[in-house]
Amino acid sequence: MTDSRFSLPTEVAAEYFDGRSARAHAVRLRVAGDRLLIEGDGVQRGEPLASLRWPERTRHGARLMHLPDGASLHCRDSLEWDTWSAAAAGRRDAVVVRVQQRWKWVLASMLVLVGTIILAYDHLLPLAARGVVALLPASADEALGEAALSSIDAAGITKPTTLPPAQQQAVREAWARAVSRLPAGEVPTYRLEFRQSTIGPNAFALPGGPMVLTDELYRLVDGNGDILVGVLGHELGHLRHRHGMRMLVQASVLGAAAAALYGDFSTLFAQIPVVLGQASYSRGFEHEADVDSVRLMKANGISPAVMATFFVKVRQPRPGAKAPSSPGLQLPIALASHPADADRIRFFEDAARER
Amino acid sequence: MDTDTQDTWKPTLAPEALAERPLPIRFTGSGSEYFRIWIVNLLLSIVTLSLYRPWAKVRRLRYFYANTLVDGHALDFHGNPWKMLRGYLLVGALLVCYSLAGHFSKGAAVVAVVIFAVVFPALLRASMQFRLANTSWRGLRFRFSGSLGGAYRAMLPLFVPTLLFAILGMEMTDPLHPPAWYFKAIGLVFLLAVVLAPLVWWNFKRYQHDHYGLGQWQTKLTIGPGSMYGLTFKVIGVMLLSGIAVFALAMIVGVVAAVVIGAGAGFDKEAFMRNRGMMTVVFGLLGLAFYFFALIVPVPYAMSRSQNLIWRNTRCDEARFDSKLRFGALTGLTVRNWLLMVLTLGLYFPFAAVSFYRMRVESVTPQLSGDIDRLQAQAAAAGDASGDAAGDFFGIDIGL
Repeated sequence: MTDSRFSLPTEVAAEYFDGRSARAHAVRLRVAGDRLLIEGDGVQRGEPLASLRWPERTRHGARLMHLPDGASLHCRDSLEWDTWSAAAAGRRDAVVVRVQQRWKWVLASMLVLVGTIILAYDHLLPLAARGVVALLPASADEALGEAALSSIDAAGITKPTTLPPAQQQAVREAWARAVSRLPAGEVPTYRLEFRQSTIGPNAFALPGGPMVLTDELYRLVDGNGDILVGVLGHELGHLRHRHGMRMLVQASVLGAAAAALYGDFSTLFAQIPVVLGQASYSRGFEHEADVDSVRLMKANGISPAVMATFFVKVRQPRPGAKAPSSPGLQLPIALASHPADADRIRFFEDAARER
Repeated sequence: MDTDTQDTWKPTLAPEALAERPLPIRFTGSGSEYFRIWIVNLLLSIVTLSLYRPWAKVRRLRYFYANTLVDGHALDFHGNPWKMLRGYLLVGALLVCYSLAGHFSKGAAVVAVVIFAVVFPALLRASMQFRLANTSWRGLRFRFSGSLGGAYRAMLPLFVPTLLFAILGMEMTDPLHPPAWYFKAIGLVFLLAVVLAPLVWWNFKRYQHDHYGLGQWQTKLTIGPGSMYGLTFKVIGVMLLSGIAVFALAMIVGVVAAVVIGAGAGFDKEAFMRNRGMMTVVFGLLGLAFYFFALIVPVPYAMSRSQNLIWRNTRCDEARFDSKLRFGALTGLTVRNWLLMVLTLGLYFPFAAVSFYRMRVESVTPQLSGDIDRLQAQAAAAGDASGDAAGDFFGIDIGL
């Protein structure tokens, strides 16, 4: 071969394998017209350039080219191969390969990647989840909610209520009156359930309708009808927006995406974004439900400020009560797991001022 | 090659007797280059809602293979991304159904486990067929010749404990007050699973290592389940020891932390209680350390010892394998990779993948006692690409 420092190479040395035997043939490759000529060590063949599967350029690694009949060409000197294929065969890198080989473009790709992930996470995924949930029939919500309720009952998180039937009836009637003041068609299917709970004062809604009010919450607010409308209005908001289903769809998609990114290294690592992501989506859902709660309270002439005092009350340590830490993980839409932070209190106070 | 010549090779099953030639394996890829490939693959996969993954996979495999030199000759990957896309979609649909089923009812979950158990062995077999049939060395395709029936015999025992647990869960009508038989049954299934696990695992590895082929070579696993039991006992021993060590360490650090915090508060009970927040942080970190250290020794131990055991006892007529994956080195690498992964928020992943692959693959050395030039291709059927996607999805790969 001619010295490649001074003139462009017209030939390159390679090894030829016929695909039937493991024997290597030392050959030389050159291009004549639109054909690749392979010659040497008993091999003599020509192949149309278009029929070849050319290797991509990388900094490390051998060059392996596939011929249509299963034969292949191997070249260990990748630099010689690249110079020859560009000069003699007019090979140009694909766009993807060019991007991969330049740090500048790789860094740009990283920025676009981060931007895409943020966009997808903030807007596309919630939107897609809404779309998927809109396609799912309400019966899916019901099946899911009933299964969840029976498993919560079975796990001993809730027990049969100890509230006297008269009190239950009073709450039901007051609640039905409050809901009747909402515009028709904006009330989702719901079923009010009473339970004694082992997780302290709480209320939660499950997909498809079950809304659970615990005896402990009822007693904490002394059966105050205004606060109960606010709390149950929040849960009704979860039902109206089908938050349970949306959470499930989002968590599934997020889990799949995380597994695609890191799953082949560690499943534990892949779970981290799912847990973090769910917490942040859950805060968004809580806000939507709070908006519904305020709307219901205003329709009933109740000042949303009662919810601000309720939050203070529910956070106060009670004698004999356990720290309200664990239930949040089991019931992502349970009231006690909400971040009762200053933001939410301020939201209700602002809503009260706006009349 | 005709049967006569094969017969002349048959009696030489003790390769030590022949002049052996090692075929050293070298990996020449670099973490920084794989990083560049990985980032671009990731971007394209996300932008295309993961439809680009088969192309990304082909590019990744071709990079790793072109840098894996066995006796100076690189491996090659021939998979067609369009075929792989079909498999990817099929398996994706299956997996979505499987993961959703559990949310709706217990019965659906059991049905899903059954369907999974029925489909999975066929998919994994197809995956191994596809992967090997599309991998070549010196122009010759590898092959996986395990039968479908063999796949079920090898893998169905893996699902039996899960299925029994699921059925037991369904039989229990009042979960709040489980009947006495329930605990006995659970205990029995668990014990049986533990006792039979090495046998079941050996049965599975034998299915794989009895059916790899290249040319007229056909590998065979030459150990019985006894060795797998020996390995399991050692792994359990290492797990117990590292568990005890980590527990002792946690106790010491915990006592020291309590004393230090207590001393800082002048052994004032009130102040001690006020420092509970700090105690929670300390014990939280301890718990995390416990988790990592309890796994960080046994996992590389099991991985290195089982790779060595299985490959050292895999051989064919004209070749056998040396495997010298060192436990200490693998542990060091695992710790380093984990730390850097966490510190770089995952950006170190491609570097970790390259160094991990390099250590595992370079630790194996085929020992050749025949003439490589006489190796001839045999007729082999290419597997279905959906199997390959399944193997990828479930993280079960063929090890080499």
